[in-house]
Amino acid sequence: MSSQKTQSKRSPEASAFYIAGLILLGIVVVAFVISLFWTPYAPDATDAASKFLPPSLEHPFGTDNFGRDVLSRVMSASKYTIFISAAGVAIALILGTVSGIPAGYYGGFTDRGIMLLGNSIMCFPGILLALVAVAVFGASVTNVIWALGLVFAPTFARVCRLGTMEIKELDYITHARVMGVKPVRIMTFHIFPNLVSQLLPATVIGLANMTLFESGMSYLGLGVQPPDASFGKMLSDAQAYFRVAPWLVIFPAMMLIFYILGLYFISEGMRVSLTKGGK
Amino acid sequence: MKRFITKAVIIAASACLMLSGFAGCTKKAGNANNYAVVGITQEPGIFDPHTVVAAGDEEIIFNIYEGLYKFDYEGNLNPCLATDVEISDDASVYTFTIRDGVKFHDGSDLDAADVVYSLKRAAGLLDGQDGVALVSELDSISDVTALSDGRVQVTLEASSYELLSCFTTGIIPENYDNCQAAPVGTGPFKFDSYTPGQSVILVKNDNYWVHDLPYLDKVTFKVCADMDAGLTELANGSIDIFPYLTPDRSNQLDETKYNVLSNGSNMVQIFALNNAVEPLNDLRVRQAINYAINRKDVISVTMDGASVELTTAMSPAMGSYYDTSLDGTFDQDIEKAKALMAEAGYENGFDLTCTVPSSYLIHVNTAVELASELKAIGINMEIKQVDWATWLDSVYAGRQYETTVIALTSDYAPYDVLSRYASTSDGNFINYSNSEVDKLLAQIPLTADVNERTALYHQVLGLLTNDACSVYLQDPATITAVSTRLEGYHVYPMYVQDMSQVKLAGN
Amino acid sequence: MQSKAGYLIGKLVELLLTLLVVSLLVFTAFSIIPGDAARVMLGPEASQAQVDLLRAELGLDKPLIVRYGSWLIGLLTFNPGTSYAYHMSVGELIAQRLPVTIGMSAIAMIMVIVISYPMAVLSARKPGRFGDQVCSVIGHILFAIPPYVASLLLILLAGSLFSLLTVGNYVSPSDDFIGYVGCLILPSFAIALPKIAMSFKFLRSSIIEQRTSDYVRTSKSHGLSDFKILIRHVLPNSNVSSITIISIILSDILGGSLIVEQVFNLPGLGRLLLSAISRRDFPLLSGIVFYLAFITVILYFLSDIAASLADPRIRLK
Repeated sequence: MSSQKTQSKRSPEASAFYIAGLILLGIVVVAFVISLFWTPYAPDATDAASKFLPPSLEHPFGTDNFGRDVLSRVMSASKYTIFISAAGVAIALILGTVSGIPAGYYGGFTDRGIMLLGNSIMCFPGILLALVAVAVFGASVTNVIWALGLVFAPTFARVCRLGTMEIKELDYITHARVMGVKPVRIMTFHIFPNLVSQLLPATVIGLANMTLFESGMSYLGLGVQPPDASFGKMLSDAQAYFRVAPWLVIFPAMMLIFYILGLYFISEGMRVSLTKGGK
Repeated sequence: MKRFITKAVIIAASACLMLSGFAGCTKKAGNANNYAVVGITQEPGIFDPHTVVAAGDEEIIFNIYEGLYKFDYEGNLNPCLATDVEISDDASVYTFTIRDGVKFHDGSDLDAADVVYSLKRAAGLLDGQDGVALVSELDSISDVTALSDGRVQVTLEASSYELLSCFTTGIIPENYDNCQAAPVGTGPFKFDSYTPGQSVILVKNDNYWVHDLPYLDKVTFKVCADMDAGLTELANGSIDIFPYLTPDRSNQLDETKYNVLSNGSNMVQIFALNNAVEPLNDLRVRQAINYAINRKDVISVTMDGASVELTTAMSPAMGSYYDTSLDGTFDQDIEKAKALMAEAGYENGFDLTCTVPSSYLIHVNTAVELASELKAIGINMEIKQVDWATWLDSVYAGRQYETTVIALTSDYAPYDVLSRYASTSDGNFINYSNSEVDKLLAQIPLTADVNERTALYHQVLGLLTNDACSVYLQDPATITAVSTRLEGYHVYPMYVQDMSQVKLAGN
Repeated sequence: MQSKAGYLIGKLVELLLTLLVVSLLVFTAFSIIPGDAARVMLGPEASQAQVDLLRAELGLDKPLIVRYGSWLIGLLTFNPGTSYAYHMSVGELIAQRLPVTIGMSAIAMIMVIVISYPMAVLSARKPGRFGDQVCSVIGHILFAIPPYVASLLLILLAGSLFSLLTVGNYVSPSDDFIGYVGCLILPSFAIALPKIAMSFKFLRSSIIEQRTSDYVRTSKSHGLSDFKILIRHVLPNSNVSSITIISIILSDILGGSLIVEQVFNLPGLGRLLLSAISRRDFPLLSGIVFYLAFITVILYFLSDIAASLADPRIRLK
């Protein structure tokens, strides 16, 4: 959509961000891809005899309170972390743009109605929403994703709405309107592409926030169900062993930080090249 | 430009310093040390001795109210507000002699009228109560009267030799009905205040009928968000006593600052199998599951080995009522388990769901270990966490589940432990039904001789184990950290914090 | 063009409607999820008869819609009802928890401003230079640390290195104000960390944007010094746009301190909310949600007005 802009020239700053981001994100993605075919041990096989082993050649990341191999668990956790945050953001993004752009474009009652609903959801405790989803549909990854998507949709809607309000006053949009271009067409082909630069940071922040929110839900037993795990779940489980088995915290935390930081750097790179290319 | 930034940085830094400086002054000098802070993880809610049921409430009010009889930390039932009891030959009339010289917290003296009022209230016999007992164990009381000699006579609808332990129910002043807001009892401590989500404060009862007790001036029960939050407070010295720790937590404590006490809790952790659903209604399947599980590993993973293995519905902590001949019945035997599965027609295994309460880490962890162990016989168990309210509603009361993990608590009384297995019992959430057990449970309260009763209890336990009605896992140890500042604390084999014996170390 | 008063009234109606929708959502949620306040209070050892008795006492035997109606009527008469679990007025319960939540939000907010402003100004002075890069990377890392990991790290640091700050031992402000501030510093810092990163990122880019704008270039050509331009033009303008971000951060802090309260064992609103949910305490939960929603809506309301004042294009027609 905005390819003609990014193609123009890539500043060295942007490239640095891209490279750093891709390396960090790459580590997590590679772990995820490998875990689909192979993990050193079965990630949920318990072994009471080998609890709390510190990192060694046999268990590079050590073992946890069940004697499970932490490396294998981190690898399989990357799957849930990536999947949940990506799918959650996708839902939030779709809901947010579909409601936010019309709200900003039409204004009036459409705007008020949509914002009313959005504000209400934002004020509604996300945890309670998650509880409802789990109670009605059962505890599962899919329901967690829906709950996350719904909780975060209003944030995206706000970004889209404000952005649309600014953009629609620009000359070329007014021209298009006067020339009788259909509103749906204006919104899809003229407004949305211009929102991308604002939505990108929101998306990355959304990915990060969702990963954190999901770990909060795991903390309350609402997220990924054991024995499966996400990074956030591994971290909240490891909390108690912080002092005696720090490797239970370090490795998932490292992966989580790689993941979020990687996303950031990439979005920074995009932002830099977008603004520079645009001007 | 530079100046501005330097200024901003200085302001920022000094603001931070100022704030942390304030914080540095917060450690208060200790003067009146004669207090103890007990960490609790369950929010207290009910202070009325007759409506209280939740274990978390009972452990606090144990210090405020006393009954006619009272348990000690060895599980003995001793006379308390009664000095004596006379049980009629057919066990239908209990006559209590009331202790003299006992004062309530409001200053009034204890007499027979208070006891009559309290027991009637507990049994739902007061005017305006519709006959529903507040204390369900006392439902069988049909009348309570004060005799002319000052004794109190309790008449039962159905005889029972097993009712004395139920007279531990708190005695309150006659016609007093405000126990929820302002508890008044005869116990070693008086109720001072309750701040929801934070603390319950009790102060010394100067007129306590046991001389020299209690030692402490003030006891604070402090609500901790969870075990780990409590551990943090413990490590920082803002809590003196913290019960219900797991060994891997208590191992992290500084040995010079805390004594770690451990005792059986008289709880029964059960991997409950809903006997009414397929394929768990098949005895062979239930036996196979029992044989497939390695209880030692479960205990190792969840309690670092600090628990007692169980094979039946009662903890060995119950002494002679427990049947030692059942030990080892279900030692792990994968081959046997597989054979039983094949016999039942499930050689390829099946899928199972385990619904566990997410607020209890030990049960969630147990489920994880069980799921891993059950894979060996082809059972693929999925874990579903639900919150406590949902668990109570749909699993316990609604019985809509396949399997669950929970710990059953009870008074230190065998009948209390086993009566839930009667097919009509509210507590029979595993849908167990055996007419022989029903018959035995009806017979026990009518049996006068203790040895005979013990034999009947053994029969019930044997039947439960034979029927493999569920998988009994462990009696989780109660591990309590007590500050070396204090001494005299005892771990009870039930959900109780007795603060009356606790005193400052060296005094 | 609508008058200012009309605009305000419109916003006010919107606010009330939002609150109504929120309470309806809570109500619907409660009619869906299983569980019952009386059962939770009494625990598994209670018999069905005992549970029924308590249900009748609490009025739980009436249908939820009736209870919602009476709650709504109570609200109109400024009486948010009595909590099932605590036997106390909901208003009193919330008031008890407010010092923690307000104190923590205030301290965290101060930290966010005090730390992110200088960082952003420093960074934006020469974008792309070493200092800027360092600040940006630190900002990103801060953002990526989950609050409870930060909390645990802080507890560990405070415990082993400084033994300065009190962890866990909450003191009420009326007893000891300094102690109260002291016990809130670490948790506030744990909450503030990611927000510092967020506000830094935002401020930095808005300062850079302002600096390259025409009027700043014009002022420059008129010979105003860098410093004066920064103070007189750049900061005020980025301030207006940062009102939005600050109100978002504040409402985030209000609603999101739950886990930090848990780790630090602080009796704040977040934990009360969680306990209301887990104990199925409908009056308490709707009270808290309503209260939080009220504050959040007011914040957005203010930020909308501020934004419309700053940028006339946003003003509603």
